[in-house]
Parts: sequence; structure tokens; C-alpha cells
Amino acid sequence: MRREEQLRADILGLVKEYYQERFADRSFKAGTDLVHYAGRVFDSDELVKLVDASLDFFLTASRYSDQFEAEFAEFFGLSSAFIVNSGSSADLIAITALTSPKLGERRLRPGDEVVTVAAGFPTTIAPIVQNQLVPVFVDVNLGDYTAIPARLEEAIGPKTRAIAMAHTMGVPFDLDTVMRLARTYGLWTVEDNCDALGARYHGHLTGTFGDISAVSFYPAHQITMGEGGAVLTGNELLGRIARSLRDWGRDCYCAGGENNTCGKRFSQQFGTLPYGYDHKYVYSHIGYNLKVTDMQAAVGVAQFHKLEYFVARRKENFQKIYAFLKPYEDRLILPKATPNSDPSWFGFVITVRKDAGFSRNDLTRFLEANHIETRNLFSGNLLRQPAYADIQHRVVGDLTNTDIITERTFFIGVYPGIDKSQIEYAGSVFKRFMNGERII
Amino acid sequence: MPQKLHCKVVDLIPHGEHVYSLSLKPDSLAPRFFAGQFLHLALDPYQPGDFWPESRPFSIASSPGDRSLLTITYAVKGRFTTRMEAGLRLGGEVWIKMPYGEFAINTDDDSCLLAGGTGVTAFTAFLDGLTAEYQRSVHVFYGARRPKLLIYRPMIEAAAKRCANLKTCFLVEEGEIPNGMHGRINVDIVWQSLPAPLSIAYYLSGPPVMLKTLSEALIDRGVSLDQIAIDAWE
Repeated sequence: MRREEQLRADILGLVKEYYQERFADRSFKAGTDLVHYAGRVFDSDELVKLVDASLDFFLTASRYSDQFEAEFAEFFGLSSAFIVNSGSSADLIAITALTSPKLGERRLRPGDEVVTVAAGFPTTIAPIVQNQLVPVFVDVNLGDYTAIPARLEEAIGPKTRAIAMAHTMGVPFDLDTVMRLARTYGLWTVEDNCDALGARYHGHLTGTFGDISAVSFYPAHQITMGEGGAVLTGNELLGRIARSLRDWGRDCYCAGGENNTCGKRFSQQFGTLPYGYDHKYVYSHIGYNLKVTDMQAAVGVAQFHKLEYFVARRKENFQKIYAFLKPYEDRLILPKATPNSDPSWFGFVITVRKDAGFSRNDLTRFLEANHIETRNLFSGNLLRQPAYADIQHRVVGDLTNTDIITERTFFIGVYPGIDKSQIEYAGSVFKRFMNGERII
Repeated sequence: MPQKLHCKVVDLIPHGEHVYSLSLKPDSLAPRFFAGQFLHLALDPYQPGDFWPESRPFSIASSPGDRSLLTITYAVKGRFTTRMEAGLRLGGEVWIKMPYGEFAINTDDDSCLLAGGTGVTAFTAFLDGLTAEYQRSVHVFYGARRPKLLIYRPMIEAAAKRCANLKTCFLVEEGEIPNGMHGRINVDIVWQSLPAPLSIAYYLSGPPVMLKTLSEALIDRGVSLDQIAIDAWE
């Protein structure tokens, strides 16, 4: 073994030891430690790969990025998977890609309408607004928190060109209805799969149904890169457009540090540029730089190999929490899957019933005071958020349930870092509250 | 998704006159690709995480249906292919990165494929995948210097037997071939063969001179630029 290789092996061996010293002992102390709503779950492999990538010192996307994108695309059975720096960036690219001039008459133009829901994370909607498209909001079900299917068709008008929604909290929305509408009305479909990596609908992975989809690798999600996300598509042209938008808007698709992959670097004509203008500096989109480093991708590779285990643990935790909350269904609306779906639960969503005798904040204050983290269902009704109050939009029907979510819904964690002792502790805290104990 | 793959050369066929076909077996399954895409082949060692070495593009001649074995065909024409001829042996190792390119036949249109020499490999995966159910008409004009360099003629003839909508025309510059023509592909031959030459999509792949001559001739006959797709590398 060369000295360089020996040194690397020694360093990585020490990293494994460091993991044991620093991170391996994670015993839970009830009443002292937080029961987090989400968090990083990792072992020495993440740390080893992270350091391994750093020793390459390539810094920008390289072998781990290649590996992640290849394995991720293969997992979904799609031709294109591009890592980006966040799930929100993935949403931005997914929507913006549909406005590309390369799509000709099918491109989305300012004023075109996109059907969506208002109860969710803001960056599902933000790219619609940022691209001067008009969101059309429909209400959602309580329990699964996805669009009410009957409302979707009512929302389609002469300007409607796309449906873009999230599989909120890991629950697949009604893809049968959405894909039928897309075919009938010639609509683009965008799946925001950020909450739902590993979820299935009729046995098929979410993120593979629509024209393009987004995934998040923020630490709260099924797997993490720290910061990170991915854009997925089986449409070659959309894949090329998405990559261009991620990489400054350039026409060239060479990876970092590579040249003339297209074999036509100095022999093409673009607009009024001089013939043979260096393809590396030809821009076919007004793009961004939303790339990741290879260190992030290295963590992603290790995490992705644990995805099935993570999703299974989330389901187990969900069932255990469901079991201890089932007796309180008279006061709480418990979460449920949509028909034909197998969710990859992001959290355990609870809506406090109107006549429960307590408010959401009564309950969440009690949980937080007892070291159980809670989160609202993100923005609630986005139209009630200051930044979105004045956006151009249309509402179909009413947003009654969306408003209920704003006022009475929250979630607790199901992530794989939660173990049996934490769930038992959480169950005991809920029981104390339901028996009348309150924060004074 | 483009990937970098270490491959073994598991078949090497010298067709004569410095033309070779290589079958490459990647260490892991190649990424999904579509007919008409190309790969980059590097002869120098590559260390993942390091810079990609010098490489050249080659059309993937084999079917996207088999991602465990990839075929390319090349003619020795420059410094890189001279290195390939001198250095590549059965059992040898290379690195490839793939897939790239958008030279795909639009299956919604009638098409005319004009292939010169090893340029036919831009079309072979598509032709190999044609079935009896293919609805649009496809005319293939495939020319080579000599009969033995019409390497993919048997495969194309087999495709034509399966698919009634595939019509073929084979040409050689030197020598004679059964059921073929003498000379280079030219627009007169194309015009005589096609029922509606102005309402068809043209796909050109072959030596630079052929691409220039044929594309200019098609435009002179009234074919619009957006009806012509050219597979050309520097």
C-alpha cells in the first residue's frame, strides 16, 4: 500500500474511533433530554465518507456526487437525478424548468395557473409566485392533509397549465386523480416529494408519477446531507433544463473540471454570438448556482444506503404513537394514509378537535415544557402569512380545513432517532395532559 | 444520469482497414440511456475523485435494453483513435463516462437516416429496437467505402424484416454488393427513394465532408433547417 493510501486508511480508522467516543452513546434520559421532532441519525459510515471526501479535496461535486446521483436515479428508475443544495432549490428548479423556452408552446408563461394547496411549506408555492405564475388553492382533508380530490377538477380553468403539490408530511396525495386530470387537460405535474422520500402509491415510489419532482435532504427529512435536495425526472429534456438551471443557466453540461463533453465546444452557433463561441460560456437559461459540495454528497451516499431502514423505523414509531393516542381520538384527529398509499411518515400530525376542551397551544406548551418538541404544520394557511397576503392567486371553494390546520394542528416526531423509551415517555406525558394536568 | 464506469474490453473485432468494434463490460450496470446517445472513452487511468483524463466521444451502438454490455465502433482517424488501435486489447481496461447527447429519432415523424461509415452507430440502437408495430416510415441510407465495412448491414436487414415501415438502401464506394448501389449517398438517390422528401425529418451521421455536402444539398432542395439533425463532434 502506498504511503498516501496508508495514511488515508489510518485517518479513516481514527474517524471510526472518534465516532464511538463522540456519538455512539445516545441513551435517553426521560424528562431531561429532548424528544426531538426530527434530527440526524447516523453512524460512523457518514463520518468516514465525509472525511474521505474532504481528503480528496476536490471540494465541488465529484465521485460521491456521481455515486449518489447514479444510485438515486436507479432507485427511482428514472433517467435523471440532480443533487441541489436544498429541497427548496429543487422545488425552484422543478417549477422554473417548466418555464424554459426549450419547451416551446408547452412552456409555462406569466399568468398561467398552477393548482396547489395552501397548507404546507412555503417553498412549494414560492417558485410559482417567483415565476409570475398564479397559484390556485384548494382545500385539504384533515387527517391526511392532502388536497381534496373533488376540488382539484373544480380548480381547473382556461389558464390552468400545471398541478404542483407536496406529499405533505410523507402522505402521497391522490395521484390517481391528479394524473387523470393531467392527461385529460394536458397539465404538467410537479411532485414536491420533500417530505415523502420512500413513500409509495399503488406500490410505486412517489416522485416517479409526475413530470418532475423534488426531494429534500435537510436534517429533518428521511435522509440528510445537512443541506441538500434533488430534482428527479424521467423526461430527458426537463433533465437537461433542470441541470442548466442548477448550473448558472449554462447550455454546456460538462461536469466541474471537465471540458468538451458534448464534443462541439467550439463548433456551434448560438443566437448572435460569434460562431464557435466557447460552449462553456453559453447560457440558455437565466439560472442559479445551486450545486452541493462532494462532502455533502458523501454524507448523502451513506444516508441513502440506510433509507429503507429509516423509513421502516418511521413506520414503527408512527404505529406506536398511534397506539398510545388512539384512546384520545374523541379530542384529537389522528393522521391517516390516503387510499392506495404507503406513506413514508415525516411526522405524527395531530389536529385538536374543536370541542376538545383545550387548544393546540395548551397541548403543545405542555409537551414542550416536558421536553417533547412540537412543530406546527409549517406555514398553516400560507395566504395568512405576511409575505403571501397580497400575492395574485385564486381560491376554489373555501379553505376551511386549511384554516383549521393553522389554528389547531401540530406534529411530533417519528424519526428513527426516537426509540422505545422516548415513545413510552411521550405517551406518559400525553396521558398526564389528557388526565387534566396543565402548565400553570 | 452521466456516470463514470470502469470497464473491461470483452470483445474486440477488427473489421479491417483500421475499423474496430469494441464490447465493453462495465463493473456495474451502466446508467439508463436512449438510442442515439454517446459515451466518452478514456484510455488513461482514472482515479474517482480526481480529474477526468483525456477522452473522446463514441456513439453507443448497442441497445439501451442491455446495460451490462456496451458496444462502440470506431475508425482510426486521429491521435486518440491511433492510441486506441495500438493500446486496446481483449481483457484490457478503460474508463467511460455516459450517457450524453440528444441525437434521438423523433418517433412521431417519418424519418430518413443518412449514415456514412462508422457514423451508422448513431442509429444502430434505434434500428435494433424497431418492431413490427412501429408506425412511422424510416428510410435508411447506409454507405461505406467497401462492402466489408458495411458492418451493421445484417442487423439493419434483420430489422427491416421485422418492421415493414423500415426501408433500406446500402451503398459502397468501391466494389459491388448484392441489392445495393455503387457510390456515395447523395441527395438524388434520397429524392428518388422518398415519396415525400420535403415532409420528413433527416438525421445525418458520418464523416464531416458527408455531413456538409448532404446538409447543404438538402437545404438547396428546400428542406428546412429544423428538419435536419446532425450528429457531429469536433
